Amino acid sequence: MSIIELCGLSKSYRVYQKQEGLLASLRGLFRREYRDVHAVRGIDLRVEQGEFVAFLGPNGAGKTTTLKLLSGVISPSGGEARVMGHVPWKRENAYRRRFALVMGQKNQLWWDLPAQESFRLHQQIYRIAPEQFARTRDELTGMLGIGNLLRQPVRELSLGERMKMELTAALLHSPDVLFLDEPTIGLDVVAQHKIQQFLKYYQQHRQITILLTSHYMKDVAALCRRVVVIAKGRIEYNGSLNGIIDSFSGHKVVTLQFATDQSSAGLERFGQIVEDQPPRAKLRVERSALTRTLAAILAQYAVEDVVVEDPPLEEVIASLFTQVERDSGAEAQAASGTDSADASTAGVA
Amino acid sequence: MEGMQYLRVFLTFARNSLIRDMTFRANFILESIASLCWMLGNLGFYALIFTHTPYIGRDSGWGQYEFFVFLSTTMFVNSLVQTFFMANVDEFSELIRTGGLDFALLKPIDTQFVISLRKIDWSSLVNFFAGAGLLVISLHKLSVRPDNPLHVSPTMVALYFIYMLCGVAILYSLMIGLSATSIWLGRNQTLYDFWFYITNFSRYPMEIYSGTWGRPLRWVFTFAVPVLVVVNVPARILAQPLRPNSSLSFSLAAFAIVATVASLLGSRWIFNRALLSYRSASS
Repeated sequence: MSIIELCGLSKSYRVYQKQEGLLASLRGLFRREYRDVHAVRGIDLRVEQGEFVAFLGPNGAGKTTTLKLLSGVISPSGGEARVMGHVPWKRENAYRRRFALVMGQKNQLWWDLPAQESFRLHQQIYRIAPEQFARTRDELTGMLGIGNLLRQPVRELSLGERMKMELTAALLHSPDVLFLDEPTIGLDVVAQHKIQQFLKYYQQHRQITILLTSHYMKDVAALCRRVVVIAKGRIEYNGSLNGIIDSFSGHKVVTLQFATDQSSAGLERFGQIVEDQPPRAKLRVERSALTRTLAAILAQYAVEDVVVEDPPLEEVIASLFTQVERDSGAEAQAASGTDSADASTAGVA
Repeated sequence: MEGMQYLRVFLTFARNSLIRDMTFRANFILESIASLCWMLGNLGFYALIFTHTPYIGRDSGWGQYEFFVFLSTTMFVNSLVQTFFMANVDEFSELIRTGGLDFALLKPIDTQFVISLRKIDWSSLVNFFAGAGLLVISLHKLSVRPDNPLHVSPTMVALYFIYMLCGVAILYSLMIGLSATSIWLGRNQTLYDFWFYITNFSRYPMEIYSGTWGRPLRWVFTFAVPVLVVVNVPARILAQPLRPNSSLSFSLAAFAIVATVASLLGSRWIFNRALLSYRSASS
């Protein structure tokens, strides 16, 4: 049996549409207009024990909502989910003792106290035996390099240090399942790398199951073998990271190095020119027409070198998001009155 | 085992709050002084009233020192509510608004317990001791008066403290129940402010609610929203033990227990219902 199972999971909200202006506000006291926001629209997913799965998607895609549903923080509008055999939103203590949720944008440590005081509270809430607590705490803070900061009030820590403390707090009770919601948001490259290294080691070492949402492709590439792309509350892709390119990119990028006296004129017949800096040119070529196109180019031009590449992953994902955005926009117009969550198209960076 | 866990967590809440308060020492001292001043102002006001009249209401049995027993009971109840619950309930609607409630929901411990007791405001406890001082003085004055001196028995003291805790429980229930409504009402909107208006009625002996206007009020604030029993019942046990209408006092005391249990259960029901509707603010 899979450790995490989602079946037709969905969540919608009713949101009060506030109109602009004082008069409209007064009218709103008596008659309110609501809009349904479908944050998650029927997600089916299985995750096996020991997997490290990434959720990718634009803002408002439903990633965080899914994690919140799986943590039992909110209840779904439909569908089912089981994590380690528990229905999350029943909030049984037996379940809550076995998972953790870390949110990069919210902190749970006492702001004015040293982190170790919050850790002690966790020890009591999760009923961790004193020796085990001390061992786990020292191990985690040692790995993250924050052992010397335990006595400093949390408010005086840097963002990166605080995130490491948050991670430590979440892992003190040695959860079997870990949900990470943008754990490296706003961190500098060094801190990001450190947290990636830590998560990678910890996950492999303990064989726990982790679901991660992140906007940083580096996080995802470094950590996860499986990627689930969510957009507009639906799963658009579920598979390996590189498989995204195969599934969603219809073209390859061909870089041509011309002989010195060769002009690149007329190249646009073969594909869209991305870059033209004689004697080098880059163009996008339909994947299906690749060999034919290459042969034609080589026959007509004096070419010294050819490189054929996949387009950058970020680009593929960004265009995938935009496409989904456009499709659902048309869908929403057809069924007017319902619209989806945050319309931002910001993609992965 | 379970009970021990809760006790330990509570003690750690208490300890962490104290550490935090001590970090901001000046603030702690100022807050203590402020609440003490507010209380002294109150006491002064009533002392002033009693320079004009020997009692509140003819034959009501509330002379100056009986009323001061009542006043110190108000101080006890309020200071306990403020020390343990007010800051937390205050923050509850904020947690709902900002999504901070998420973390409380993740913990393998009763959510209402964590929400209600996570921070303890030690500076408010100063009124508890001030109230104790006032109570001792008032009881002494009552027990040495020549006419009908008061005898305080250990049973009375025990009942007094039990009913005082019942009073705290009723005010707390009302507070958390009203505050939980912000889950439904949304941003910055809560019925919590009503708590202050409603509990105002508990600060006076119930005898003053008489006549055309008073009777309905007395009925509402005894049976519908039982804030009148909060201070009145414990205060009567000490200050009015030998009243001729003691049978009324007895049924009132029995009712106070029922009201306490009903309030606690009711507020827990509202709290749990509210959590079901919790939406958690954006990431």
